[in-house]
Amino acid sequence: MLFVELIVKGLVYGCMYAMMAVGLTLVYGLLRILHIAHAGVFALGAYMAVTVTNATGSLALGFLVAAAVSALAGTIIYRLAYQPILHHQAFVPMVVSIGLFIVMQEALRMIFGAYGVAFDHNPWYVANVTLAGINLTYVEIAMVITSVTLLMGFGLFAGLTRAGIGWRATVSDPQMATSFGVDAVRVRYVNFLFGSALAGIAGSLVGLLNNYVEPTMGGAVSYKALAIIVLGGLGSVRGTLVASLVLGVVEAFGAIYLADIFDRDAIGFLFLIIVLMVRPQGLLGRSSGT
Amino acid sequence: MSTLARIDDLHISFGGVAAANGISLTVEQGEFLALIGPNGAGKTTALRMVAGLLRPDRGRVFFGERDVTSLPAHARVRLGLGFTHQIVRPFYSFTTVENVMLAAGHRQTESPWRALTSRSRAAAREKARAILDRIGLGAQAGQSPRALPLGQRKRLEVARALALDPTLLLLDEPLAGLSSGEATTMADLVRALPGQGITVVLVEHNLGEVLRVADRLVVLDAGKVLAEGVPKDVMARTDVRQAYTGVI
Amino acid sequence: MSAYIASLVSVIGINLILALSLNIITGFCGQVSLGHAAFYGIGAYTAAYLAKLGAPLPLTLLAGAAMAGAIGVVVGLTSLRVRHDFLAVTTMGIGFVFLGFVRKQKWLGGELGISGIPGSGLDPVSYALLIVAFAAAVMGFCLWIKHSWMGFTFDAVADDEDAARTVGVNVSTYKLAAFGIGTALAGLAGGLYVYFARIILPDTFDFVQSIAILTMVVIGGTGSVWGVFAATIALTLLPEVSRAAADYRLLIFGAMLMLVMRFSPGGLAGLVRRKPA
Repeated sequence: MLFVELIVKGLVYGCMYAMMAVGLTLVYGLLRILHIAHAGVFALGAYMAVTVTNATGSLALGFLVAAAVSALAGTIIYRLAYQPILHHQAFVPMVVSIGLFIVMQEALRMIFGAYGVAFDHNPWYVANVTLAGINLTYVEIAMVITSVTLLMGFGLFAGLTRAGIGWRATVSDPQMATSFGVDAVRVRYVNFLFGSALAGIAGSLVGLLNNYVEPTMGGAVSYKALAIIVLGGLGSVRGTLVASLVLGVVEAFGAIYLADIFDRDAIGFLFLIIVLMVRPQGLLGRSSGT
Repeated sequence: MSTLARIDDLHISFGGVAAANGISLTVEQGEFLALIGPNGAGKTTALRMVAGLLRPDRGRVFFGERDVTSLPAHARVRLGLGFTHQIVRPFYSFTTVENVMLAAGHRQTESPWRALTSRSRAAAREKARAILDRIGLGAQAGQSPRALPLGQRKRLEVARALALDPTLLLLDEPLAGLSSGEATTMADLVRALPGQGITVVLVEHNLGEVLRVADRLVVLDAGKVLAEGVPKDVMARTDVRQAYTGVI
Repeated sequence: MSAYIASLVSVIGINLILALSLNIITGFCGQVSLGHAAFYGIGAYTAAYLAKLGAPLPLTLLAGAAMAGAIGVVVGLTSLRVRHDFLAVTTMGIGFVFLGFVRKQKWLGGELGISGIPGSGLDPVSYALLIVAFAAAVMGFCLWIKHSWMGFTFDAVADDEDAARTVGVNVSTYKLAAFGIGTALAGLAGGLYVYFARIILPDTFDFVQSIAILTMVVIGGTGSVWGVFAATIALTLLPEVSRAAADYRLLIFGAMLMLVMRFSPGGLAGLVRRKPA
C-alpha cells in the first residue's frame, strides 16, 4: 500500500512541477535561455493569491489576480531583461536571470516581510478525502485537476488552433515561421504570458497546500524545474511533462528510502546527475551525434 | 612509395541512413589524392572518420602501421594527421597569428602539466609568422579572423594545420565558397605541399581545379568506392560520368 | 591592526581565493559552474573534522584542498559529458547534492554543522596575514597560469573546444585540470575559513553562496585576474562601508549582476580593456 501511495503522492507533486517546468521549457525552446527568474514569478503569484484572498475572502479572485499579475510580470521580464541581450552568448542572459531572481526574492521580502504569510481561511488545507485507501487533501486533488486541465488545454491550443501551430513553428524554426507570416515577437509574448501564468497558479496552489507563503519559496521548486527540463531534453514539452512526473515519483520514493543519506531536495538532482552521465541528452532528448 | 594511411571497409549510418557502406582506400606517401563524387556520396564522412571526428560503426583506419580506429582526434593530430574544416573554425577570440601559434606550440600543449610549466611563446610566434608569410597572410597577423574575408580565413585554416607539422593533411573542401581566382591560388598552394614532405588528401567539388592538381582520384558514390586512378582515366569512365549526371 | 580590520582582511582573503578559483574553471577554461560553494564546503568540512580530531593546521588545510580537488575532478567528468546549459544545471545540482548530504549526516553535525573547532594557534592578526599570504600566492599562481601555455590552451578550449581538438589539444584533460585546480583552491579557502569562524554551518555553502562567488567573477570580468581581484575587494567591503548596503546586500548583488551583464558583459575588465572585435 505504501508503494501505491508513494506513486500517487509523487504524481501529485509531479503535476505541480510540470506547471513550473513547462513555462521554463517554453522559454528555453524559444530563446535558449535558462529562465531562472521564473522562480520569482512563482513566488509573486503566491503572494498575490494570499493577499487578494485574505483581503476579499474570495479564493477564485485570488487565483485570477495571481495568474494575471504573473503573466504580466513574465512579459515585462522578457521585454526589459531578456530582449535587449539576446544577441550575447548564452552565459549572459542566464546570469541576468539569476540576478533578477535574487532581486525579485529580495523585493518580496522587503514588501511582505521575511516571515511569511498564511491564508486567513483555508479549509482546503486540512480537508481531505480517502480514495481507494489513499489520503489526499483537497488541495492536492485541485493541483492535479488544475495542471491536467491547463496543460491539456495548452496541448489543444498548440495542436489545433492557427495561433498554436504558428507558435510551434516558431519554436522549431523561427526564420521559416517568420517567412510564413508568423509574428515571432508576438509568439514570444504569448509564450511568457502563458508560462508565467502557469507559474503563478502553481505558486498559489503550493501556498494553499502548505498554508504558507514566504519569499524564498520559489527557490526549491524552480531548481527542480530546471533539473526537470534538462532531464526531459531542453525545449521538449512532452519530455518535460514526462520528466516532471518521473521526478515527482522518484523524489517520493527517494525521500523515504534515502532519508538517512540525502534530504528531499537533493534526491531530484542526484537522479538528474546519474541520468545525464548515462544519457547526456536527458531522458527524452535527441542525441546530437557529432 | 610506401602506404602512409589505409582505411578498410568503413561503415557508418546516421539515423538509419548508411553514409558509408564499405569504403576502402590507401594513401601513398607523398601523393596528392582527391576524393570526389556527387553530393551525399560520403566523401566528407570518410574524411572525418580518418581524422577521428567520427567513429565508424564498422571498419578500421590505419596510419602507418598503426591501427588508429579507436584513437580520438587530438591523438591522431599528435601522430601527424592534420585536418581543416569545410566551414572554417578559427578561434575568433584570438588574432590570426595567435591561431597559428597555438598549433605551432603543439609540443607545449601536449599535456596540461607540460603547458603549465612552459611560458615562452617566442619560438611559436616565430614559427607562426614564418608560416603566415609563406602562405601570404603575413600582413594579417595581428588581425582578428573576423576581419578576414573567406579566402583568407581558409588560408588561415591551412596555416594552422601546417603548424602542427603534419605528415598527412586532410582538407575538407578547401575551395568551397572561393572565387575562381582565389580557388586557383589555394589549389596551387596545397599542390606544393607534397613537395614539402606533406601528403595531401582532399575532398572537393570543384572538379576544374582538382583535375588540374591531383595525382590520383578516388570516386565515391552512395557510400562506396566507385573508381580510382589517374584523373584522365577515371574521368573517361562512363560509370563515373553517370554518377555525376545532374551535378555538373 | 585592530581585531575588526583583521577580521575584514581575513574575509577578503578567503573571498579572493574563492573567486579566483572559480575564475580558473569558468573564466579561463570556459566551463560554467554554479555549484562552486560545494567545494568550499568540502574543504571546510574535511578540515573541520580533522581539526577536531587533533590534526595540525598544515595537514587539515592540505587535506581539505586535496579532498575538494579529488571530488572536483570527479565532478569535472560531468563537463566531459554535458556542456553549457546542461553543465550549468548539473553543477547547480552538485551543490544541492552536497548540501542535502551534509544536512543529513549526524557525524558531520547535520543541520547544526560542526562547532567548537580549535583555534589556529595564531592570534587574529597573524592569522589574517597568513590568509593574505595564501591569497597572494593564489593570485600569483593565477597570473602564472594565464601567461603560460596552459592559459593559452584554456583560452582555446573556452573559445571552441572542437576546433581545439583539431589542433591536438586533449580537451578532456584540460577541463579536468581546470576543475581539479579550481576546486582544490576552493577547498583551501574552506580550510582557512574553518579556523577563522571556529564553527561551520551547512547553509554557509548553499546556492546563494555559489552565486555570490560567481558575482565576484562576473563583475570583475570572467577571465581577468585583476578584474576579479578588484571586484572581490569592492563587493566584500561594500556591506562594511554602507549600512544600507549591508541590509540590502543580496538585492544589490542581484541588481549588479543584472546591470553589469546588461551593459558590460565583460565586467570591470571589459570596461578597461578594449578587445579587438
